[in-house]
Amino acid sequence: MAHRFVEHVGEVEVELEADSETGIFASALAAFAELVGAGEGGEPAVHVVELTADDPPLLLVEWLNELVYLAEVEQFVPERLAAIDLLDGRLRATVAGRRAAPRHLVKAVTLSRLELDRDGARWHGRVVLDV
Amino acid sequence: MGGLSSTSDLVQIDETSWEIPAAARADMRVPARVFADRELLEAILGDQSLEQLQNVATLPGIVGAALAMPDIHQGYGFPVGGVAAMELPDGVVSPGGVGYDINCGVRLLALPLTAAELGNRREPLVHELSRAIPAGTGKHGPLGLSRSELDRALQEGPRVLVERGIGREEDLARTESQGCLPGADPAAVSVRAHERGAGQLGTVGAGNHFIELQVVDHVFDPAAAEAFGLGEGQLTVLVHSGSRGLGHQVCTDYVRAMDAALARYGIVLPDRQLACAPASSPEGRAYLAAMAAAANFAFANRHAMADAVRRAVARVLGKQAAEAARQVYDVAHNVAKVERHDGRELLVHRKGATRAFPAGSEEIPAEYRAVGQPVFIPGSMGTASFVLVGRPGSMARSFGTTCHGAGRAMSRTRARKQIGGAELRRQLEARGIVVRCPSNKGLAEEAPFAYKDVERVVEVVERAGLAGRVARLVPIGVVKG
Repeated sequence: MAHRFVEHVGEVEVELEADSETGIFASALAAFAELVGAGEGGEPAVHVVELTADDPPLLLVEWLNELVYLAEVEQFVPERLAAIDLLDGRLRATVAGRRAAPRHLVKAVTLSRLELDRDGARWHGRVVLDV
Repeated sequence: MGGLSSTSDLVQIDETSWEIPAAARADMRVPARVFADRELLEAILGDQSLEQLQNVATLPGIVGAALAMPDIHQGYGFPVGGVAAMELPDGVVSPGGVGYDINCGVRLLALPLTAAELGNRREPLVHELSRAIPAGTGKHGPLGLSRSELDRALQEGPRVLVERGIGREEDLARTESQGCLPGADPAAVSVRAHERGAGQLGTVGAGNHFIELQVVDHVFDPAAAEAFGLGEGQLTVLVHSGSRGLGHQVCTDYVRAMDAALARYGIVLPDRQLACAPASSPEGRAYLAAMAAAANFAFANRHAMADAVRRAVARVLGKQAAEAARQVYDVAHNVAKVERHDGRELLVHRKGATRAFPAGSEEIPAEYRAVGQPVFIPGSMGTASFVLVGRPGSMARSFGTTCHGAGRAMSRTRARKQIGGAELRRQLEARGIVVRCPSNKGLAEEAPFAYKDVERVVEVVERAGLAGRVARLVPIGVVKG
């Protein structure tokens, strides 16, 4: 499972890789956590996220959009994926993190250059974030 | 999607405009046209922005050409610096063609004193501005609007604030569309968007948003400068922000809704982020009502910040100076508006582009009608900004539009690799610019060298006849989120 920020003049583009589809969602969470970050402190917190979407790439966008919302409104900085179930366009996940002021915010998750696909045993994804 | 790699892939129309013919791709309905000189065009070819402009040229209902201003750079879906006019009623509206930061824009205040008269009160004034206006991630503003007051702001814009004694009636007249886009409907704005925006009125946010204290260092057009109340040596304050989390969520909601409706309208797109629907469709009408509400929120946001600027001025320079602080104008950068051009009713998308109507337009405040609409072009942090005025060429060539800034030339990551925030802060302060910014990382991402040369950008729009230079403003203090 890995993520990599690639050059994008205007925004932030992230490439994701994993050996499973759920790994892509975990990788996206790790990329988001690295982007928003937070200083020390803050109470531990857990959020359960339930989402549906018409297709897998859109579910990835919805997943990140949920993290955007939680960071901005709930001041929830995610740290790790405690559990995830993914089936037929439905996602249920438990996210562990802290209630703390994010250092940075993401405005939105775009559909531009969006990818979530499988190549043999490896899964890869791509998403562009408006920051 | 054939990539564009050199100027030879474009047809030069004249010294400041280039075109990719509609025949370049089977799916293009109109040409893609960019305003640039050769040097800017070489820089523009370094990213994917012209391919994105070609994608815009495929949208149903587009007329004339998909246009790009000289500050164009790669965005998502639409390029930043893009303009697309769709014929109504059935041409499409694309939320991505407005962007997530709906009605991101700038407001200029002219202060009644010069830099020399400010003297050693510069640092206290910048400090007071940073205290008066919350900046940074998700900072909550001081207004505490109830849900019903927030909904009135969405429907009516800053007028609701004037009724509460915040800002002045004359500020409304000196705001694009008087600070209120028609057709706004708070009910079209989701609960989640309300939640994200509820506490953020009166806050600048982060990213490239800022409050800048400036000096008018040169006047190019004395008649227009006089009409705008600007003179050499005078202090100004430029406020750059938008609709904050509320606008971001409105765009998110409607990109999703239109993406789901594409098949129903038989729309096939080269980039999913261009999701759109006929402006006359239920999805199109709902988006336009929500977009207008978010735009009105943004006008109210800048209005509240301008009031905070006056309060900061009062604390440092006295009540009289605050009372004489005059709003020059407020312009939107990211919005879609219904306008008449050449006898047709069009929906003009401007994403990172500014309306620039010439003298005589009834859309301009009466006091400016003889000279034209004021336009403000922020430079990159540490470089000059410009006051321009709309010229007749904008109506003939760009649906009444000009550029909106310098335009990014370098990614945030690369900017951070080239300079640390602390070092940049030292460099700016060594040049006499007082900096207040909570994030060194955020500061480095907005380093001046990460942007194109704003002087060259405004020179191109002037030579193209879209807008004329009125005054150059140089920064002496900046508050960043």
